[in-house]
Amino acid sequence: MAIIVNLDVMMAKRKIGAGELAERIGITPANLSILKNQKAKAIRFSTLEQICRVLDCQPGDILEYAEEAEK
Amino acid sequence: MNHNQPSTACFRRSILLSQGLLALFTAVVVFLDIRCQWFWEWSFDSGILGTVRQSDKYLFLGCLFGCSLPAYVLLYSMHILLKRVQHGSVFTPENVRLLRTVSLCCFLAALLCLVSGLRFPVLLVITVAAGFVGLIVQIVKNVFQQALCMKDELDFTV
Repeated sequence: MAIIVNLDVMMAKRKIGAGELAERIGITPANLSILKNQKAKAIRFSTLEQICRVLDCQPGDILEYAEEAEK
Repeated sequence: MNHNQPSTACFRRSILLSQGLLALFTAVVVFLDIRCQWFWEWSFDSGILGTVRQSDKYLFLGCLFGCSLPAYVLLYSMHILLKRVQHGSVFTPENVRLLRTVSLCCFLAALLCLVSGLRFPVLLVITVAAGFVGLIVQIVKNVFQQALCMKDELDFTV
């Protein structure tokens, strides 16, 4: 996937655990794990908004575009 | 809790009705297989097969037993499909496979009836009916395949 989710980095910076973050943004820990492990195929604006609100950051701090290696 | 599972009484009744009809169809197929001799005599005497001779009996029975095999496979596949739908797993690769089996069984029965239809023209009606049902199931299978891709996308949307 060309989009990298840097949620781990922001969580470490804000010193917040996965369980607490999941609870505060209103998604299940399983869904948060999908997002953290780069397995998500899409993210809702509402989820992104909640993540940015709780972690006090911008979408660009969480999502990053990286050129994919040619197959 | 499975969120895909409708919990309404109407849904349960619908599944129950489908299972009942499936059991009825199975009973009819089993009955026709066991009483094939009677069925041939009745068809011969009533004249629904048109102008046929007693010597056509084995062709008729061959068609009957030939169609029974896909019918049993079809009924079993539908039974499993209903069970899976009842338990809330609807858009799964297994169900797509089951629908493909049902569709192929319909086409196989249609083909057998088409061949026998050369001797017993009344069976051409079954050919058209089975072929049409097979086509419908094939389209439903394609819809399920598309829905499976969409569900996969949705499952990984956070």
